[in-house]
Amino acid sequence: MRVLIWAYMAAAYAFIFLPVLVLVVFSFQDGRLPVPPFQGFTLRWYGSVLGNAKLMSALGNSLLVAVVSSSLALILGFLAAHALARVRLPGSVLLRGLLIAPMTVSYLIIALGLLTVFNQTGVRLSLWTAGIGHVVINLPLCFAITYAAMGDQQRSAERAARDLGASDWQVLVHVSAPMLAPALAAAFFLSVTFSWDEFIIAFLLTRFDVTLPVEIWSMLRSGLSPATNAVGALVFLVSTALVVVLELTLFRKAKP
Amino acid sequence: MTRSLTAPLTAIALVMLASPLHAQELNALVWCDHTDPALIAPFEAKFGVKVNLKEYEGTAAGLAILDQSRPGDWDVLVIDAVDVPRAVEGGHLAELPADKLATADFFPELVMAQNNVVDGKTYAVTEKFGYNTIAYDKTKVDPADMADMAALTGGKYDGRIAIYDYYLPVLGLVALGQGVATADLTADTLPTLREPLFALRKASKQVSDVVSAQTALATGEVDIMVGGGEWVTAVLAADNPNLDWTIPAQGGLRWAQSIGVVAGSTQPDLALEFVNYITSPEGQALLATSSCYWGMPANAKAGDVLTPEQKTALRWDEQPEFLARAQLYPIPDAALDTAMQDLWTEMLQQ
Amino acid sequence: MTLATRERRLGWGLMAPALAWTLAFFVLPFAAMVALSFAHMDGRSIVRGFDPGNYIRFFTDWTLFKALVNSLEITAVVTVVSLVLAYPLAAIIAFRVPARWQRLALLLAVLPFWTSYVVRSYSWLLVLGQNGVVNKALLWAGVIAEPLALSASRTATVIGFVHFFVMLLTLTIYANLIQLSPNYARAAQDLGAGRIATFWHVILPLTLPGVVTGAFLTFVLCIGDYITPQILGGNTELTLPQLIMLQLGRSGNFPLASALSVVLMAVVTLAYAASARWLRLDRL
Repeated sequence: MRVLIWAYMAAAYAFIFLPVLVLVVFSFQDGRLPVPPFQGFTLRWYGSVLGNAKLMSALGNSLLVAVVSSSLALILGFLAAHALARVRLPGSVLLRGLLIAPMTVSYLIIALGLLTVFNQTGVRLSLWTAGIGHVVINLPLCFAITYAAMGDQQRSAERAARDLGASDWQVLVHVSAPMLAPALAAAFFLSVTFSWDEFIIAFLLTRFDVTLPVEIWSMLRSGLSPATNAVGALVFLVSTALVVVLELTLFRKAKP
Repeated sequence: MTRSLTAPLTAIALVMLASPLHAQELNALVWCDHTDPALIAPFEAKFGVKVNLKEYEGTAAGLAILDQSRPGDWDVLVIDAVDVPRAVEGGHLAELPADKLATADFFPELVMAQNNVVDGKTYAVTEKFGYNTIAYDKTKVDPADMADMAALTGGKYDGRIAIYDYYLPVLGLVALGQGVATADLTADTLPTLREPLFALRKASKQVSDVVSAQTALATGEVDIMVGGGEWVTAVLAADNPNLDWTIPAQGGLRWAQSIGVVAGSTQPDLALEFVNYITSPEGQALLATSSCYWGMPANAKAGDVLTPEQKTALRWDEQPEFLARAQLYPIPDAALDTAMQDLWTEMLQQ
Repeated sequence: MTLATRERRLGWGLMAPALAWTLAFFVLPFAAMVALSFAHMDGRSIVRGFDPGNYIRFFTDWTLFKALVNSLEITAVVTVVSLVLAYPLAAIIAFRVPARWQRLALLLAVLPFWTSYVVRSYSWLLVLGQNGVVNKALLWAGVIAEPLALSASRTATVIGFVHFFVMLLTLTIYANLIQLSPNYARAAQDLGAGRIATFWHVILPLTLPGVVTGAFLTFVLCIGDYITPQILGGNTELTLPQLIMLQLGRSGNFPLASALSVVLMAVVTLAYAASARWLRLDRL
């Protein structure tokens, strides 16, 4: 039984890691095709990726869209969560459902709906329109996470602050937000992750300046190459490094 | 307002202000072969402008993008040569000054005045062409079999065929197999293609776009590609010299793409410069060997710029024979186009 | 002004930005899309009106309807297989791995998903190909004599999906398992229940919310995905998102694409209604 359990776990992890390992190994392929047999070790694909201006600007665009859209989604989500948790509003169940609703809808539908509206109103597609779409998908997430984190402890602290003469804004910024910092951080980084990796909204709602997944998609469309492996491996390494740093700093402290 | 809110808002405002401060820009709606930086960079350097490129797939989608754009959104359009009249009809292309074009140096068959000129006015020039026929791995397939389209559905190659996922050339090829010339493809003859198309689908392993087709051939997933040609084999010639292509006895299709200036462009002179750059011998050589797919240049003078190896891969010297045996794409009207696409979707779902 | 009205005004003020955003960029676009789905194409131009033709066509044209059938079949298989694979893994991590290593085990499970999602599907293409790593390894080990035709098939699509959702489900189920007090199981066993009975009657019902939430997310994300079937499926069949993208990308037929999206939305809503009882979306 015990052997079986560990064998299962090993098999599961092998399955989970298989594509990434293959991806990384063949990014060093000394040949034009990233398939077996392995023809030798080279770093030239990494060189060509780092020297690819379009790819690098797509990377910058992705970061910009991810950070700006997540910040906005976090602010909107936090304020709404605060409103619903603190104040008795008529139809609050309905409001909560409305805010959560985009979470249950396929990204393709959100993208197509926005595309329809932008086409009809003559809004020119750009990184901003893709960013709008990313706020739509991340707002429910930020709302849900902050809403779930708001407990009685905050409520009494806020009341105390207000009784001491703090204004609503002061309470929000100096009491509520700091107390919710771990939840806010979690919501923000989850949003950044989703936006960073999102394809279909960015694909349908951008024009010339595109995000990294869209640029990788057009790289794929123009031929099989170890360079695509190299991009994937680089994204993997950078994200992993980021996760490890966050894990060691932010979330370690946040743990109870 | 508090500091924590002001900071991100200021950042947004700054970025929004910063973005339109670019140099002059040229917006081009193109096929994927134009997105090769090696092709675009010399033009950008020469004129000190930035060329923005957006790829599209299929004429209907390209025209839909133009329909939804505002005047001035686009400067240059690359389009299937046979669809130039459709774009002109939709009012999407501007007239080009015929005397300033490089057509005198073109292969005569590639001037294609019947497509690029409407009512005596030139709206586009041909820039690149090639063939949609049968590509195959000559070590795994008997080249003699490939001279006859019937061999594909004969059972010998079942499960080793990929079909190129573009309905126009493949339906054209199937039509040729049935003895129907592409120009005679109508709503009446279309139903006769159904059975042979579905038989072909049955014999094949997959229906693939450019990349997965290249991948499948290069890695040996399939040995034959229906609709393939130099555009799939030439780019892989260095890695897999066994790939070859042929025009079977029934004939093959010739594809050609044209480039023109979009009506309503705010910078028609710069757009014309771009068209002339692409059709110049240097631009043509780069376009012929660009990263997405290779193809023959329309301008014969590009032959002086291309290397002998590149010309071999493109099969430069055999062009007269190919040109004589290949037909143009079918040119469907809107109704036939829809019927063809529906047939294609049905085939995909088989 | 009473305290209550002041509070309420403040509440609406805080609520307004998120509400406005959701209305402007989610509700309105969706309404516009529904309206567009009742238009039709005349040649290349869109004719607006109230024409249910796109929907009638969807339900009568097998070619289109089959896309929904394909999507549902793939999603069902993916959801079930992912659940069956993920539950034991989550249980092993929650109950067998020492507490201080659990976080690391989860982190490791999530790690491969930090590469780009498009690239991940692409790497499965390389793994599953005729000359891919799996076939090479199986041939070398003598398990098979001929390479398996894994790539460019529904199998490849399903494997690509399962890979992602095993991770997702492991996380949601783990989160549920770890909250269970070991006392439940102990109590059941003290009362004479066997291991299987304990699992079936005690553990499983208690973890049902996590299972259903994970399964619902799997359903929504899987049925709406374009990339995985497009890269791995080899166009041997079309899923609903692929059909939608085909209408957009090749035909420029926005009305039909919109109608298909409304159908997709309806299917997801049905799934939501079916699982709403156990869903805990606001407690992810």
